[in-house]
This record gives sequence, C-alpha cells and structure tokens, in this order.
Amino acid sequence: MKALLLSSTLAAAFAAAPALSETLRVGVATAQTGALAYADVPVSGGMRLAADEINAKGGIGGDVKIELVEKDVRSDAAQTSIATQELADDGVSVIVLPCDSDPALAAIGVISSAQIPAISTCASSPTLPMIGGDYMFSNFPGDNVQATVSAKWAWDEGHRNAYIIYSPDTQYTTMPLYFAEVFEKLGGTIAGQATNTIGQQDFSAIATKVAALDPQPDVIMTSAYEPDFPSLLKALRAAGVTGQVIGSDGIDSPTTFSLGDVAEGVVFTTAGHATPGSPLEAFNSAYEAANGAPPETIFSAVGYDLIKVLEAAVLAADGSVEPSALRDAIAGLENVQGATSLITYKGTDGMPVRQVSLIRVADGERELVGQPSPDASLIPAPRMQ
Amino acid sequence: MDLILQQTVNAFALGGTYALLALGLAVVFSIMGLINFAHGELMTIAGYVLMYCGLAGFPFVLSVALAVSAAVAAAVLMERIAFRPVRNASGATMLVTSFAIAMILQVLFQNLISARSQAVVLPQFLSDSVQFGGLIIGVNKIAAIAATVIMLVFLDRFMKHQKTGIAMRASAEDFAVARLMGIRANTVIAGAFALSGLLAGVAAVLWVSQRASVDPLMGFTPVLKAFIAAILGGLGSLRGAVAGGFLLGFIEIYLAAFLPQELQEFRDPIGLCIVVAVLLFRPNGLIPSLALKAEKV
Repeated sequence: MKALLLSSTLAAAFAAAPALSETLRVGVATAQTGALAYADVPVSGGMRLAADEINAKGGIGGDVKIELVEKDVRSDAAQTSIATQELADDGVSVIVLPCDSDPALAAIGVISSAQIPAISTCASSPTLPMIGGDYMFSNFPGDNVQATVSAKWAWDEGHRNAYIIYSPDTQYTTMPLYFAEVFEKLGGTIAGQATNTIGQQDFSAIATKVAALDPQPDVIMTSAYEPDFPSLLKALRAAGVTGQVIGSDGIDSPTTFSLGDVAEGVVFTTAGHATPGSPLEAFNSAYEAANGAPPETIFSAVGYDLIKVLEAAVLAADGSVEPSALRDAIAGLENVQGATSLITYKGTDGMPVRQVSLIRVADGERELVGQPSPDASLIPAPRMQ
Repeated sequence: MDLILQQTVNAFALGGTYALLALGLAVVFSIMGLINFAHGELMTIAGYVLMYCGLAGFPFVLSVALAVSAAVAAAVLMERIAFRPVRNASGATMLVTSFAIAMILQVLFQNLISARSQAVVLPQFLSDSVQFGGLIIGVNKIAAIAATVIMLVFLDRFMKHQKTGIAMRASAEDFAVARLMGIRANTVIAGAFALSGLLAGVAAVLWVSQRASVDPLMGFTPVLKAFIAAILGGLGSLRGAVAGGFLLGFIEIYLAAFLPQELQEFRDPIGLCIVVAVLLFRPNGLIPSLALKAEKV
C-alpha cells in the first residue's frame, strides 16, 4: 500500500511537472457551436494568431511557450462548467470562458475553488467580475462605459429626447438602461422604452409605436444585434422614424455596413478602430496573411488582446505559470498594448479599462467619430438584475 | 384609429409569413404524420443561396428563383436521404430524425460557411415604404402579403385541380386506401416535401428580406412559430394552418402594440396563454383536419 501511495505520488509529481516548465497551458472553454459561436469563433481565430506569433519567437519572454487546450462548450452554461472542471483537473494555468456573462458565471464555482484565473472572451457586463470574485476577469469595454460614451456623444450633438429599446434576455442587451441613466444625468429626457426578445423577427409593432410619438425622439438607442438589429432598423425607417439610431458593439459586423440607405448615419460604440498605423491595422493585415481573409469582426482582435494580456501577466510574474501568481499579475497589469487598445486591470475589480471607439456608418463604410475617454463621474454603477 | 389600422397591416404581413411556414409543416404532417423540425433549415439553405447570389451580383429576381429552387431540392433530398429509410418506423423515430437533420445541418453551416451572420445584399426598394392615406406601409410588408395571397391561391388550385394535388388530398384522408387505389406513395410523399420546400423557400425570402442576414441557427425561430401556428390551426389541416398563422401574427402584433409597457416583458407568455385558451375551447385546433375525427378528451 505504501509502495502504491509512493508511486502514485511520484506519478502525480511527474504529471504536474510540465506545468512548471516553459509552457503556459491556456484552457479554452468557449462556444465553438451554438448561439454564442458568432462571437467565440472569431475570438479563437485572434487567440491562435497571437499564440502562434509569440511561439514563433520562442515563447513569452523567449522561453515560455503557449499551448491552447480547446474545448467546445456548445453555448451551454452547464457544459461550460463541466469543461472548466475538466480543464482545471488537467492542470491548466488560466481558463478562457465564453463571450456571455451567463455561461461564464456558471464556471465561477470551479475556478474559485481551483483558484485558477479566468477571462471571458468578450462578455461586456460589468457585473461579471463583480459576481465572479477575485479570479474572474473580463476582456471588453463594459456596457456601462460604452453607454456613457454614446450618451455623452448624443448629448453633445444636441439631442435631448431619447427612446430606448432593450431586451431583458441577457445582461448585454440591457445596455440601453445604462444609456438612459447617463442621458438623464446629463439633463436629457427618455421619451419612452420598448422591450424586445432576442431573435425577434418582427419589429413593426414597436416601430409603429415610435412613429406615433409626438414629438419624435431625437435618438433611438438599442443594443440589439444581428439578426434583430437590421430588422429593427428597417422597421423603424419603413415606419417613417428618422431620429438618430445608436447601437453598440454587437452591430460591429459586415451586415450593418451592407444595409444601404437605412443604416446611413447609424452610430455605435465598439472596442476599436483601425486608424492608419494603429496596432489594429497591423493585426488586421497579419490576420489576413494567416487566414486568407480579413477578420469579420472586432472580436478577432479582442481574442488577440486576450493572449497579449496573458503574455504580459507571465512576464509580470517573472515567467511563472502558476495560477495564483498569474491572477495577481493580471490584476496588477497596466497599459498592456493589445490590438484594439491599451488595457489596464490595475485598480479595477476585473473589468478592464479599455478605449471605446465611436463609429458612424457613412456611405456604407466605417467612419471614426471619436475615441473619447468617458468622464468617470458619469459612468453608472453596475446594475444587478 | 390610424394606429390600429397600421398595426393591422403589420399583423397581416407577419401572419401571412407564419401562415406560409405553418402550411409547410402541415403539408408534410397531413400525409406522413411527421412534424419536420428541419423545416427551418430549408429556410436557412434558401437564405444562404440568396446570400451567395447577392455576392455573385445576380439580379434579385434570379436570386429569389434560385433560393426557392434550392429549398425545394433540399426538401426532396431530405426526404430521400433521411426520412425514406425510417418511413415505416414510429412517429417518435421520425421526429427525432428531423431534429437530428436540423442539428447536423446547423453544425455544417457553422463549420463550412461561418459561425457568424452573413450579410445578404438586398435591393434598396425592399427597405422603402409607400403611403396610403394615413398609412405608411413598407414594401417588404406589401411583398409579404402579396406572396402569401399568391401562394394560397396557387396551393388551392394545385390541391383541387392537379393530379398530384388530388392524390395528396386523398392520401391525407386515408393513406392506405389511397395506395390501394393505385396512388404511388413515393410520388405523394416526395410531392409533399417539394411543396413544403417551396413554401419554406418563399417564407425564407420574406424572412431574410426583413433581417438582411443569414446565420446557421436562423431556422429555429420560424419553425417554432410554424409549429405553434399549425397546432393552433389544427395539425394536418391546410386551412387550419393558414388560420393559425394569421391568428398567431395578430396575437403577437397586437400584444406588442397595445400591451402596457410594464407587461411587455411577459408578452410571449401572454401570447402563448391565449393560444392555450383557444385550444381549450377548440382542442383540435381552429379548423381541424378531417382525418382527425376523434374528439380529444
């Protein structure tokens, strides 16, 4: 019995040994299929590109290679929890979770008890790291920050009267509530609100309601994304609503730019914009060189950012890939240069400080309106549902 | 008053699309007793064809024709490859088969095309609207109503005057006797699938013209709506499917339009409660199928 114990201890020691050598094993429990695949699949493309680039140079700091251990969670919360447990048992140093707060939240118990830091690919609800505790990090400009940027812009443009359309289905689609909060703080009025469900096909009833308002709202704000957004926008315009439409990062997609006249002038917030000479421009060409086509969405660049954050964390931890050392290193990161923005975790609860870009659709092309830093006093507190 | 009229036009357009969808399910159900949950994927296929045609720069009329033909071809292939081998199996087997086809196709679309929505280039006039007195009606709404009327007239004539249509009605009433009269089962079933593909294709064009994009999971919502509409109208009854589709469209639009804001969150449950209430009074649906003689207790 003693011999058996000894040998299994030895075996365990040998099994654990690779984790201490020059490999950062990243457990990727993201949605490669199902409803969240639209976000997580492009994120994976960006992550692989970053890992390949770093490995080609010999690894992080020249000696720590990155290995991505990928598992598909099928956009399912329970499967996310299971896959996270498997990855934790496998001894990975850090875990990447899906692009939505709900499945990411399902993994909290596992990562907290295993004490492995986790980063959601692109969940933007500021409540995620709050609920998630010390080991949960996000990788996207928060909903409340995005809404602050767009509300301030709308106010500065002279708009005083806004209408919001939101969905209580996910945290992300409630972003218009943050918008309303900021807009009212600035002195604007909210003319009304409507709710939709995710995947709703027909918006004609809502559009008719908005068209019947007197006076017409100056601004209509929504965080609906594909396929709901084009349908909503077309319904609004067909009903004769001409106010400024403001959206969020979910509509940063080729569809929005191919809608023709109805989308002209739509403004939305997103994680980055490829100005000439910017890291994002460099990322886009590197991505195209590696994959034969440019990235379909900003989410690919956000995936690249995620690996850059891990690289910076390993460097900050003096090359350690030990999970709790990495957690502390991530929490202390400042001004990491990603593809989309400088990224800072220091002084936050895990929701990074990142730049927000305001984009306008002009002649079916992207036009940068600005990359303002929001006034901290305007940013609403995360809203628990 | 104008507001009510306007919302009624909206309801007709949405209800028409639901009617086409429900008809697609009902045509197959009336003959095989199968609810084909892969019906939505026929729409996705038509959507992707529309997208590729747009990229290739085809004229819209040609794109629509190709998209609808693709849905018909896919429906016939679906029957030949997946449903024919299990035709004599239990209803549950066929139902699970249809779910399997739907899932396999979704994953294929995600992996072979893209996990992300793909933009569909549509002609500008579909986003325009026209004014009738005080009413503003979107061109795609008019197209939806017109397409529904044309399809219903076509279907009515096909079922009443075409040999295959008459054979299909006979089979729907009593398949065994119809076969004894010399009607070929394969022809009738393939015909039913082709017809459901045609309906799915037309519905897909209307559906996509509203959302301007196509994604791998696009078929789920429409097939769910079609299923509810078909049950509401009376499973297996074609007239019932049309009635159910329109009623569902009216329920959804009127609730979205006139329910107070505090209750809007509960719009879908309230809508489904109304459906259940209708079924309490008419357990076999609004216009039950003739084949379904037994009253449910």
